[in-house]
Amino acid sequence: MARPCILFLLLLFLTFSSPSCASTVHNNNWAVLVCTSRFWFNYRHMANTLSLYRTVKRLGIPDERIILMLADDMACNARNSYPAQVFNNENHMLNLYGDNVEVDYRGYEVTVENFLRVLTGRHETAVPRSKRLLSDEGSHILLYMTGHGGDEFLKFQDNEELQSHDLADVVKQMKEKNRFKELLIMVDTCQAVTLFSQLQSPGVLAIGSSKKGENSYSHHLDSDIGVSVVDRFTYYTLAFFEKLDMYSNASLSSLFNSYDPHLLMSTASYREDLYERPLSQVPVTNFFGSVMKTVHTDSAYTGFSMEPEIHVSLVNENIEDGRRVLQTKTTQTQETKHNATESCPFHAWLKVLQDKLDNENADKLVVYGLGSMIILLVISSWFSV
Amino acid sequence: MALTRRSYWALAVGSLIFRLILICFSDDLNLGSRPEVATPVTSLRRLAEGYWLKNSSMSPYSGSMYHGSPLLLPVLGPLTIKRVEGLPSHLFCSSIFIIIDFITAMLIRATGQKLISTNHQSLQRLNLSCVQETTGCTNVGDLASLIFLWNPFTLITCVGSSTSPIDNLMVVLAIYGACSGLPSLAAFGWVVATHLSLYPAILVIPVILLLGYGPDVPPSKLFLLGKSDESGSDYPSDKTSSKQRSKDGSPIYLFSWRPALCFILWSLIWSSYIFFLSFISLKEFGGLSEMMKKTHGFILNVEDLSPNIGVFWYFFAEVFEFFRSFFLIVFHINILFMLVPLVIRLRHRPCFLAFVYIAIMSMLKSYPSVGDSALYLGLLGLFANELAEMRFSFFLLCGYFGISLLSPVMHNLWIWRGTGNANFYFATGIAYASLQTVLIVESVSTILKHDRMLRNKLTA
Repeated sequence: MARPCILFLLLLFLTFSSPSCASTVHNNNWAVLVCTSRFWFNYRHMANTLSLYRTVKRLGIPDERIILMLADDMACNARNSYPAQVFNNENHMLNLYGDNVEVDYRGYEVTVENFLRVLTGRHETAVPRSKRLLSDEGSHILLYMTGHGGDEFLKFQDNEELQSHDLADVVKQMKEKNRFKELLIMVDTCQAVTLFSQLQSPGVLAIGSSKKGENSYSHHLDSDIGVSVVDRFTYYTLAFFEKLDMYSNASLSSLFNSYDPHLLMSTASYREDLYERPLSQVPVTNFFGSVMKTVHTDSAYTGFSMEPEIHVSLVNENIEDGRRVLQTKTTQTQETKHNATESCPFHAWLKVLQDKLDNENADKLVVYGLGSMIILLVISSWFSV
Repeated sequence: MALTRRSYWALAVGSLIFRLILICFSDDLNLGSRPEVATPVTSLRRLAEGYWLKNSSMSPYSGSMYHGSPLLLPVLGPLTIKRVEGLPSHLFCSSIFIIIDFITAMLIRATGQKLISTNHQSLQRLNLSCVQETTGCTNVGDLASLIFLWNPFTLITCVGSSTSPIDNLMVVLAIYGACSGLPSLAAFGWVVATHLSLYPAILVIPVILLLGYGPDVPPSKLFLLGKSDESGSDYPSDKTSSKQRSKDGSPIYLFSWRPALCFILWSLIWSSYIFFLSFISLKEFGGLSEMMKKTHGFILNVEDLSPNIGVFWYFFAEVFEFFRSFFLIVFHINILFMLVPLVIRLRHRPCFLAFVYIAIMSMLKSYPSVGDSALYLGLLGLFANELAEMRFSFFLLCGYFGISLLSPVMHNLWIWRGTGNANFYFATGIAYASLQTVLIVESVSTILKHDRMLRNKLTA
C-alpha cells in the first residue's frame, strides 16, 4: 500500500522538476588542463595550456579546483633565452609563468595512467588532495587537452597514447560515480574530433579544433624564442575570452560560432548530441569561470535574538533547486523563556515584571540601577565610618 | 625620598596631562589592536560591537565578539559611538579612564597611609622604632600612587582602548575598603571585580583577613617575645584591628568577626543586585545562564586562542581534544593551589598577601594584559619599606623594559612580516612569565627576611 504511494509521489516530483536537472544543482566548477607534450619544440602546447589556466583563473576558478598537468620543461629549459618566462605571443606582453602557477602533475607524472586516475578518482591512498579531482554531482568540469594527436588517439609525452575508447570509458565511469553534472571537453590537436567520437554519456559537450583528416596548425612563430608559441584554435579561444570578465554572460554558442575555418585553417566542430541544454542559453562562465548563484537570507547570527518587529518570510523553499534557507531561532527562545520562569513564586513575580518591561525600558532601568548602586555604596560607606 | 606635598601633586597632575597628550596620538599608536593591551575580554572595540548588537535586538554575545559584563554596555557603549570631528576616536572613553586611573591612584595613596600608620604603631609597640630610621621611612602611599600613575603599563592601558582600568579600580577599591574597615566598600569592589573578570574571586581571602585582623603587622610571635607597654594607652584608633595581649600568652590576634560577617552580608547584597541588573539587561537573550556561559565560561574554557602575553594560548593551540578539559583544570588549579600555603605563611600581612595573589593572578590568568601588570606594579610600591633589600631589582627592571620592547617586535615579525613564527612571540611570553615569577618569589622571600630581621632585632 505504501509503495505505490511513494512511487506516485516520486513521479509527481520528477514531472514537476525542471528538465535540465533532476535533483542536483550546479554549485562548483572544476578545470582539468592537460598538456601532453614535452621537449622544446612543443613549446606551444605548454603555452596553450598555461594561457587557458590564466584565463580560467582570471574568471574565478581557484587553484584548489584546477588540476594542471604539464611537462613543465619549457620555462627553465636551457634553450629558453627568456628564463622562467613563457609567452604565448611574439609581442611578449604577457608572461604566463608568473608567481602563482600551481602545477599539480609535472614532468614524468603526466602519464595516461595518472590522467585516468585523476578523472575517475581512483588514486593510491597517499596521493594528496591537491592532486585529486574532488568533484561531485553538482560540478561542471572543463577538460582541456592539447598536444599531438591523430585518428582516435592522443600522444602522451612521446611514449604513450590515450585512445578515444579509453576516454569514453573514463567519462562513463565518471558519470556512473556522479563525478560531474556537465562536462565540456576541449581538444586542440590534429584530428581532434575523433578523440571524442566514442562518447556516450549524457551531459557531455565536446569541441575539437579539427576534423578527421585535418591538421591543426600553430598560429605564429616567435623568431626570438625560435619556436611557435601558440596554436590557432587556442589563440582564437583566448581572443574571445580576453574581451570577457567575470560578469559577462556570453553564451557557449557565441564561443563556438566565433571560430572561423579560414583563420583556423581547420574546421572546429563540436558534439552536442549528448548535451541537453541549448547552447545559446549556457553562459561560458558555467565552465570557464566560477560564477555562482547567491541566495540572500534574512537570518542574522545564530543565537538568541528577539522577535523582529517587521515580519519577514522566514522559510524560502525553492522546489526547483531543492534548497532551503535558514530559519531564525525565535521559536526556540520563546520556549527557553517559558521554561526558565516557572520554578518558584519569585520567578513568577519576575515574569510579571518582565512582561511590563520591554527592551528600551530595560536599558533605562539598568542605568538607573547602576546609579542607585553607586549611591547606596556611598551612603553605606559613609555610615560605616 | 621625601616628597613634599607640592611636588607630589605636581607629579600626579602631570601624569594626567601626559595621558591627555597621549590620547591625542592614540590613533597613531593604535594600541587597541595590540594583543598585549587589548584581550578578548577587555577590548573596547569588542564592547562597541556588543553595544551595536544589543541595539540591533540581538544578544550582545552573538558572534563571539564581546565577552564582558552586560552592565558595561549601557555605560561605555554610548561613549564609544560619540565622535567629535577632528579629535581621535574613543576620546570620551579614554577621558573616563583617566578619571578612573586618578581615583585608583588616590585610593592607593590612602591605603598606603593606612599601612604606614599601622606599621608605625606596631613597631612602636615592639619598641623597634629604630628600625624605621635604618630602613627608611618613605611615604609609601605617595610613592605607590606615583608609581602607578607614571608606570608606562598604566599609561598604555589608559590610552589603549581596554576596560582594564575599571577592573583595576575595583580591585584597589576592595583592598582600600578592607584596609579602612569599610565592609560595604570592600564587598562592592570584590563583587564587581569578580563579575568583570573572574579571577579576583581569590582576593576574598586577603580581604577577609584585612577586615578581621587589620592591615599588615609583624608576625604575632614578635608580640609574644617583645616587651610591650603595660599602659595600653596606644591602642590603635581604627576599630578594626583588635590586637590585645592576652595574659596567658595565647595568640595575639583576635579575629574580629563583625567586619567579616558584614562583608559577607554586603557581598551577598551586591551580588544579588548585580545578578538582578544583568538579568534585566539580558532577559530576552538567554538570561543569566547565557551571561555565565559567555563571560566566565569563556574565561575558564579559553575558547579564543589568539596570542597574548600569557602562557595559555600556545599550549591550548596544540592540545588534543581528549585532554583539553584535563589541562584546563590543571592550569586553573595552578593558581588555586598556591593560595593556601601563602595564607599560612603570610597571614599577618594580608595587604602583601593581596599583592602576591594579584601578581599570581595576573601571570596565570587565561587572557592577561599589561593592565593586570600595571595593577600589581603599582601595589608593589606600597611595600617599599619592607622590600628595600630585594635582590634582582635592577635585573627585573631591565627585564620589564626589554620584554615590553621585544614583545611587539616579535609579534610584528610573526604576524605582519611573516619572517618569524609563533615561537618568537611565545619566547617573550615565557620570559615575561619567568620575570614575574622571579618578582613574586623575591618579594615574598624579602618580606620573610624582613620579619626575621625584626625578630633578630627583638631578641638581640
